[in-house]
Amino acid sequence: MQREEKQLEASLDALLSQVADLKNSLGSFIYKLENEYDRLTWPSVLDSFALLSGQLNTLNKVLKHEKTPLFRNQVIIPLVLSPDRDEDLMRQTEGRVPVFSHEVVPDHLRTKPDPEVEEQEKQLTTDAARIGADAAQKQIQSLNKMCSNLLEKISKEERESESGGLRPNKQTFNPADTNALVAAVAFGKGLSNWRPSGSSGPGQPGQPGAGTILAGASGLQQVQMAGAPSQQQPLLSGVQMAQAGQTGKMPSGIKTNIKSASMHPYQR
Amino acid sequence: MEAPPVTMMPVTGGTINMMEYLLQGSVLDHSLESLIHRLRGLCDNMEPETFLDHEMVFLLKGQQASPFVLRARRSMDRGGAPWHLRYLGQPEMGDKNRHALVRNCVDIATSENLTDFLMEMGFRMDHEFVAKGHLFRKGIMKIMVYKIFRILVPGNTDSTEALSLSYLVELSVVAPAGQDMVSDDMRNFAEQLKPLVHLEKIDPKRLM
Repeated sequence: MQREEKQLEASLDALLSQVADLKNSLGSFIYKLENEYDRLTWPSVLDSFALLSGQLNTLNKVLKHEKTPLFRNQVIIPLVLSPDRDEDLMRQTEGRVPVFSHEVVPDHLRTKPDPEVEEQEKQLTTDAARIGADAAQKQIQSLNKMCSNLLEKISKEERESESGGLRPNKQTFNPADTNALVAAVAFGKGLSNWRPSGSSGPGQPGQPGAGTILAGASGLQQVQMAGAPSQQQPLLSGVQMAQAGQTGKMPSGIKTNIKSASMHPYQR
Repeated sequence: MEAPPVTMMPVTGGTINMMEYLLQGSVLDHSLESLIHRLRGLCDNMEPETFLDHEMVFLLKGQQASPFVLRARRSMDRGGAPWHLRYLGQPEMGDKNRHALVRNCVDIATSENLTDFLMEMGFRMDHEFVAKGHLFRKGIMKIMVYKIFRILVPGNTDSTEALSLSYLVELSVVAPAGQDMVSDDMRNFAEQLKPLVHLEKIDPKRLM
């Protein structure tokens, strides 16, 4: 019993704050329409509508929240009706309801809609029941389809106009530059002054001394360095045959050597 | 002899094969600011890091047609930082579903006598350049936006001229072999940089 009362109070407070927000935004919207109607723009009106719709949404959510007790089960009964001014009531309603009398009560505590509204609602319900479930479903589907088509058309139009507007002035990158830069980083195209295309110039034949047999090969290396560069080729092949079958594995040989030092604390 | 794709080779020895996943693009100079702002918003929150590096590429010519390439990089604005030696393998092509360029990658930090060591080993410098730009990080992804400067007098890093009017943008991840979901993450990140930059996998062999 206690818990339910607390819940009721809490949900009433939430409802009260939501309704107050809604009232404020409605008030500002009306003010805007009445006083600034000559300067009003459609987007501004849309903004106000969006605000109202958002607030109505939150109001709905609050009402649907599981912690809200069913207000339908609560009944409000006026206990005392008096034609005197009630200061408390004035304060609580911000001066709108000065007297809790028999004129005010039917309007404020009403639960049934207006007779005209009730008539219209009855009319609508009989119409809806008359159509039949299948026809109603078909109508719903066609409405959904039309809405989605419309949305698609609008978004396509928006996308096309945006890209068309941006393309001429906002070129933020140049694909040719991308290719040039990537080529420069990958194999030095355009970087070396004496080798404009980055291809090898008077390349010195590499020595396989980087292999795992460093110590053993050092003697061989000294022999090689003594020879002139042009004679390196035959020496090279001689050395390679001496190192049993390392030719094909040269790059991987280097890799294994370097790998052993790779567990360095400050790798980038 | 063409080495088999590294991901198929068994893991022997103590180290794991690390692969570099790479996406590249470029941005024109006047759009650099907007790109930097967007990256600052998207990437991990840290002080914007700039770098000025001098990279030298060394070649070892053997009997095979393709020389062996090693890249040595040193920082010009951070004194005392170690030199960085890097080996990059051939990009693994063939898998159309992989969104990034994948290649084998070995990174080592070295001391300052790296160039002497490489020359003694028989490497010869093929080309060099200066890279100046910004570095961002997002998790394991590294985003570098830098300008490449050509060195006019070999060995003199003061006389440089910009190679083009664009900055190169690189999104890279170094991860153990076999983790292909990394490329999906990279592609998602690259989507967020459109339409400023189009990061894509560019095959360098196509540009030769």
